[in-house]
Amino acid sequence: MIFFKDVSVGYPRRGTVLEGINLHIGKGEFVFLTGPSGSGKSTLLKLLYHELRPSSGEVIIANFSSRRVKKRKVPYLRRKLGIVFQDFGLLENRTAAENVGYALEVTGVPRSEIRTRVPRILNTLGLSNKARSYPQQLSGGEQQRVAIARALASEPFVLIADEPTGNLDPEISQEIMRILLEINTLGTAIIVATHDYSLLKGREKYRRLHLSDGMLVYDGPVEGFRMPDNSTGAQAAGEIT
Amino acid sequence: MLRVFKEALLGFSRAKTMSLFAVVATGFSLFTLGLFVLVLLNMNTLIRRLEDKVEVMVYLKDNADMASVGMAIEDLGRLEGVDQVRYLSKDEALERFRADLGPDSDLLQDLETNPVPASLSITMKPGFRDTLHVRQVATAAGDLSFVEEVDYGREWIRRIDIFKHLVGVLGAGTGAVLSLVAIILISSAIKIAIFSRSKEIFIMKIVGATNGYIRRSFLIEGFLKGALGGSAAAAMIYGVSEAFAKHYVQITRFPEDYYLLTVLAGILMGLVGSWISLGRHLRRV
Ligand SMILES: Nc1ncnc2c1ncn2[C@@H]1O[C@H](COP(=O)(O)OP(=O)(O)O)[C@@H](O)[C@H]1O
Ligand SMILES: [Mg+2]
Repeated sequence: MIFFKDVSVGYPRRGTVLEGINLHIGKGEFVFLTGPSGSGKSTLLKLLYHELRPSSGEVIIANFSSRRVKKRKVPYLRRKLGIVFQDFGLLENRTAAENVGYALEVTGVPRSEIRTRVPRILNTLGLSNKARSYPQQLSGGEQQRVAIARALASEPFVLIADEPTGNLDPEISQEIMRILLEINTLGTAIIVATHDYSLLKGREKYRRLHLSDGMLVYDGPVEGFRMPDNSTGAQAAGEIT
Repeated sequence: MLRVFKEALLGFSRAKTMSLFAVVATGFSLFTLGLFVLVLLNMNTLIRRLEDKVEVMVYLKDNADMASVGMAIEDLGRLEGVDQVRYLSKDEALERFRADLGPDSDLLQDLETNPVPASLSITMKPGFRDTLHVRQVATAAGDLSFVEEVDYGREWIRRIDIFKHLVGVLGAGTGAVLSLVAIILISSAIKIAIFSRSKEIFIMKIVGATNGYIRRSFLIEGFLKGALGGSAAAAMIYGVSEAFAKHYVQITRFPEDYYLLTVLAGILMGLVGSWISLGRHLRRV
């Protein structure tokens, strides 16, 4: 479903940020993407939703290849992805329901369908009583749940979350993690980038990808995590338990 | 399409401050520009009225030979800028003199002989009613042997010249300042739009809106804002124009076509503004 083949990428005036990334993520998988700040997690996710293109190698997601996809086809890929950010990214002048509906409107879903779909999604996330609230009237956790609801509105096959708990208290962070895991049980693949390793605690069976200085240095279950012997820096930060 | 339109209206009512600024900037720019045009039009009318009075009067000696006068009429008619050369016999000249005097013409009632000389009245084509051209004609006429005297209101024409010059210079200066103010206003509205849109555009892209959709919805918004600003400007110009027309009968009103032009200019500004503020965001994937 998702393939990275020897992918390298950089930014102008910054040089290479990710180097020689190879990986495969299957249908319905749950994956933690970890690594210290600046290690390239967000960059890797940008490659997934084609905000960036690799300077060498190939990124394949569903039937979209970074080599072949045309710029104007990218929106159609994004309709099959759900994307969630640390800062929620809600429109302040729209209610929770409108924010969720917006994602559907923009992609041309008929209004009648939006009217039935939005309440259902909000209900799934326990937001039924917040439908008419504006983002300022919601707590951080609630705002992030609205953002997740919006990401799920188009029924994506994968949900991409970049530091989804970065602005939230530990308890609320755990709650968001539980929601993501639950969504995963319904069949949606989920990729969560985070440098908050406490989120991995008690979730030893899940897959973990660890980035260090733009290299993929670990790919395996959370419980088996160890830094490769020759790697430098960030070891301490990577350890859990 | 209808939905995109509705959506634009919503987006419009929501981002209130920014939208209001754009509408006010457009409306204010077009209003001042319209007032400027209105003033200029009236200045031109005034100048034309003053110029209509420009005339070279050539008074003939009593013994003037009609054949030479006839030839002179043709010659003068061929000079640059001359519109018409009319011969006024002594009687006609007296008639005209009486008409000019109006009610006071009774004074001339009992004259035994007509003291008014026969004369030539030379009018100039529009655009040639200035000191330079009028003086050329006056000099040519004055050189004729059968001419007693030439009168062309030298001082009057000189004042018109100065007035025209002044209107030209002040008009160009004011026009330049107004255009500059309009450009500054509109470009800051665009900058605000770029800034306040960046989040919305980012979100639209993330949820899979095509560039076409994004462009369409913002262009419609720009269209509406421009139309609103333009209409407001047209309404205010109408108000001012009519208010003046009520008090000063002789005012040249703002031409009807120009109202439409004002609204169209507003729409164009709105569309161009939206286009520019989008360009930066849509260039990237
Ligand atoms: N738009 C950008 N332009 C230049 N450099 C960038 C940009 N985005 C990220 N970087 C750099 O790339 C590196 C990886 O960044 P990022 O992928 O955001 O890391 P992470 O998400 O793991 O914190 C960092 O050194 C960062 O400074
Ligand atoms: Mg990041």
